[in-house]
Amino acid sequence: MSGTNGKIRHIHDLLVNKKITCKELTEKYIDKIKESKLNAYVHTCEDLAIKTAEKVDEKISSGKEISMLEGIPMNLKDNISTDGIETTCCSKMLQGYKPIYDATVWKKLKGDNAVLLGKANMDEFAMGSSCENSCFGGACNPHNLKHVAGGSSGGVASAVGGNIAVYGLGSDTGGSIRQPASFCGLVGLKPTYGSVSRYGLIAFGSSLDQIGPIASNVEDVAIVYDSISGYDTKDSTSSKVAPNDTFNHLNDDIKGMKIGIPKEYFDGINEDVKNAIDEAIDAYKSMGAEIEYFDLPELKYTLPVYYIIACAEASSNLGRYDGIRYGYKTKQYKDIEEMICKTRSEGFGEEVKRRILLGTYVLSSGYYDAYYKKAQNLRGTIIKAFKRAYEKFDVILAPTVPTTAFEFNFTSMDPVQTYLTDICTVPVNIAGLPAVSLPCGFDSKDLPIGMQLIGNSFSEDKILNLAYKYEQYTEAKYLKELDMGVRL
Amino acid sequence: MVTKEDIIKLAKLGKLYLTEEELDSAVKDMTNIIGFANEISKVDTGDTEFDNINGLENALREDIVEESFDEDLILKNVDGGKDGFFYIKKYQN
Repeated sequence: MSGTNGKIRHIHDLLVNKKITCKELTEKYIDKIKESKLNAYVHTCEDLAIKTAEKVDEKISSGKEISMLEGIPMNLKDNISTDGIETTCCSKMLQGYKPIYDATVWKKLKGDNAVLLGKANMDEFAMGSSCENSCFGGACNPHNLKHVAGGSSGGVASAVGGNIAVYGLGSDTGGSIRQPASFCGLVGLKPTYGSVSRYGLIAFGSSLDQIGPIASNVEDVAIVYDSISGYDTKDSTSSKVAPNDTFNHLNDDIKGMKIGIPKEYFDGINEDVKNAIDEAIDAYKSMGAEIEYFDLPELKYTLPVYYIIACAEASSNLGRYDGIRYGYKTKQYKDIEEMICKTRSEGFGEEVKRRILLGTYVLSSGYYDAYYKKAQNLRGTIIKAFKRAYEKFDVILAPTVPTTAFEFNFTSMDPVQTYLTDICTVPVNIAGLPAVSLPCGFDSKDLPIGMQLIGNSFSEDKILNLAYKYEQYTEAKYLKELDMGVRL
Repeated sequence: MVTKEDIIKLAKLGKLYLTEEELDSAVKDMTNIIGFANEISKVDTGDTEFDNINGLENALREDIVEESFDEDLILKNVDGGKDGFFYIKKYQN
């Protein structure tokens, strides 16, 4: 890959110009996945990948045009349903479960002959910030294998950073796309709530969940977002607002764009992260954007609001795992109550049980008003505060995570400490906004630092435009391609 | 403060069995988490309520009958079920 051109376009050109066949390309990826120590994949689908690659080769050799994503090797987080291919959410509860339909996002990409290499590791049911809650063990950070890839879409980020997938789709309920993208030096987009169909995404917090791409550069993220976004009759929270075409706006002039920086995002952040963000702010100033710091005091409520709402929704969504219709079922039981309770107790991991308990607590009679109702009202307050900010600013800039990737077992002791690491990412989900995380530096240990650009609803074009301009301005110096996996 | 009895009640509602050890750690964790959640309980939100996100409300499709999944397909994940039904072992009280 040269300069700041996208990797997808580069591989597309190699395929079209017959420098490599799609089958050869796919086999390279499959071989590297087998050698990999990252634990990024939990199931692979070699046969399907090769079959798709052959189809693409046939098209090319018969002189037919291929679209940008055709033949590009990719992966999906293991909570995105794939017809006939195991989809487990990295939970014992769903081991062996093969969905009987495709998630809309996968249906779209499959229709485009995307080469699915496999399903990527994640925290069980997307609950976690390190991928360590996976029943398959955590995914490693390709920059340093002793550190986590982040979570919950850790496997997608680990694979893309380790060059064993060109891009992948993750899901973001409280930062699960942006945080691992930040930890692995990648670009990750959490789209506007409703702009990408959630049909076939195994539910965690339905008013917060959103599918989005992780790739190694902004252009690739734009290409993938443009192909997966849009209204879907199968998702009752799908938006009819026509998705914006981000790819063709990447190079728009950003002079005079107003970037707001909420001071509260900088409380207690790591010094290296702060310095990198300050440098990025200077870069935007040099590019002609207008920068202004402002107060967003409502941010201090977002973490408790998030955990109350997310857990309440999770406890309800996870009620479906009863051992009757699909998934794990306990072996010995004496009545139906025992069957359900034993199934759930044996099938769910520790963090999932904790969140079911918390969700049940905040929804139970006597506590509903004090917690759930209050959190919902505050959610309204937070949304209003963001809307007010967007009357003044085009985009909000903030760190993605207060730190860089932590070492394995660093956060598992105290759940509240782990929850606090999500402080910068959750406000976006609470307000249903789009945000992209992109690399903006390295810390003293050479681990990547990420910043996020947060846009008003349905302004993916604007945030990706600003992200792309930054990538160009810094000559992609923070997009460090690691010496592992498939290099083309 | 969350008590052991609270957790036992919640576990029952959430259809979970907890071991003695799990119970103890749940009491500790939940006390911390609830303490953290309490930060919002005293905030005055005035008359602000949460309505919807991005103007989305019940974006339902037209109520037209469409083809759905085959029974056999749906039962595939439970070893085919039995006689077209989901099947659980017979039990007696």
